[in-house]
Amino acid sequence: MSKRRNQLSLAFVALILGLLVVVQLRAQAASNGLDQLTPTELTVLVGNLNTRNDQLRAEVATTQAELSTLQASDARGDTSLGQLQSDLARVRAWTGLDPVVGPGVRITVTGPLDAASVGDLVNELRNAGAEAIAVNEVRLEPNDIVNGPIGGLLLGGAPLGDPFEVSAIGNSESLTGSLTRAGGIVAQLAATAPSAQLTVTPVDQLRLPATTEDLVPAHGKPQL
Amino acid sequence: MTAPSAPGARSRLGRIPSWQITLGLASLVLGFVVVAQLQSDGPRAQYASDERGPLVQTAISLQSQQDALKAQILDLRAQISALETKGQGSEATATDLGQRLQDARLAAGLIGIEGPGVVLQLRDSGETVLPGDNPNDYLVSAGDVRTVVEQLWLAGAEGVAVNGERITTGTAILDIGGTVLVNSAYLAPPYQISAIGPADLFDRLSASVGFQTFVQNRAQAFGIQIDYAQPSQVILPAYAGAITLRYAQPDPSPAAAGSLPTSSSVP
Repeated sequence: MSKRRNQLSLAFVALILGLLVVVQLRAQAASNGLDQLTPTELTVLVGNLNTRNDQLRAEVATTQAELSTLQASDARGDTSLGQLQSDLARVRAWTGLDPVVGPGVRITVTGPLDAASVGDLVNELRNAGAEAIAVNEVRLEPNDIVNGPIGGLLLGGAPLGDPFEVSAIGNSESLTGSLTRAGGIVAQLAATAPSAQLTVTPVDQLRLPATTEDLVPAHGKPQL
Repeated sequence: MTAPSAPGARSRLGRIPSWQITLGLASLVLGFVVVAQLQSDGPRAQYASDERGPLVQTAISLQSQQDALKAQILDLRAQISALETKGQGSEATATDLGQRLQDARLAAGLIGIEGPGVVLQLRDSGETVLPGDNPNDYLVSAGDVRTVVEQLWLAGAEGVAVNGERITTGTAILDIGGTVLVNSAYLAPPYQISAIGPADLFDRLSASVGFQTFVQNRAQAFGIQIDYAQPSQVILPAYAGAITLRYAQPDPSPAAAGSLPTSSSVP
């Protein structure tokens, strides 16, 4: 009887041990970082992923339609010049190689602001769905980074001046809302850089210049 | 009280049933596993609640849908490129257009590239959080990733990707609860930031005041782990996201044929 009890105790400990080892191994295997998020953060993440997936589905549809047009031209033995031209115009506008027009917001920055805060502002505009951004007269490419000390900010080696303007094309209502909401970037900068003033103005139509850079990689070669 | 003699200890040990020794050993291992489990949580806090399970599953499912959609877009774009190339040669205009399109796609990051460069890896600090410190300072944040990306651009990089997400003109790098989203893709740590550029890209980066300040503020102050490698070929994948413009349109005005001097509002 006593021996049976001992065996049962041993079996119980072995069972718990086995369970813990499996849980530990599975947790490590599936550890993709999501386990550290709160329910609120997970909700934000899910919302973000949903929005992004909707955009990707729309892109799949557009790209599929483009392919179908090209396939039809190819079947007829044509060269679809029109398709090539519209595709070229779309890519050049998106990447900043051509000037663009559209609604959006203009942010006037007056007073001392550090370079990292300008970076935060641009990052927030991109997050809020800005399709094209310019700082003063410079169309922003990913490699256009504002740097330099407070009061002496530079973009591409040229001084930004005070005040300077950040213009962004996109849905002016949602851009304005994202920037000026409680706890948004304008409120954050008001707390961290109280001497600087940011004025956000919705604009019906902005015109942003093309970049002056040649963005084709010189060191990187296309992967074939 | 005197210490037991050696033969006495042996006889006492001999009286312990073997199952007790086994149980003792098993309990010892159990203790180790429990401690390992608790410690493996690391500095990143864990939250437990009933509502998290379905949300985590939804996020994982949406992320895998996103991966599938991106693969589909890349596949469609490859088919389009193939057809456009096939159409070339028949007309000089088409050849010229095809070349301009290829250049525009390269400039936009819509084509994967390979070349000389550097790969930097950022990992959470392994150091113990000092009393009074914010534990989040010991974790890699979106701000850290963005700083390294920016310093790479300033050092002369001509293409950058974070964990395989190509940085483009529309890329935002965000924090959600101490984790990082790039191009709205959820990236799990560690964060590998790959850049292509001139052969001395890393030398330029490490000589820059901005990068030195970053190392000082994050690695030296909080133990954020920064590693680097300079493989002979760095590969940057193509951007697989949307490039559809809903609000910005190519400027139809005649001035757009040249270049516009300023950004200005149109009355």
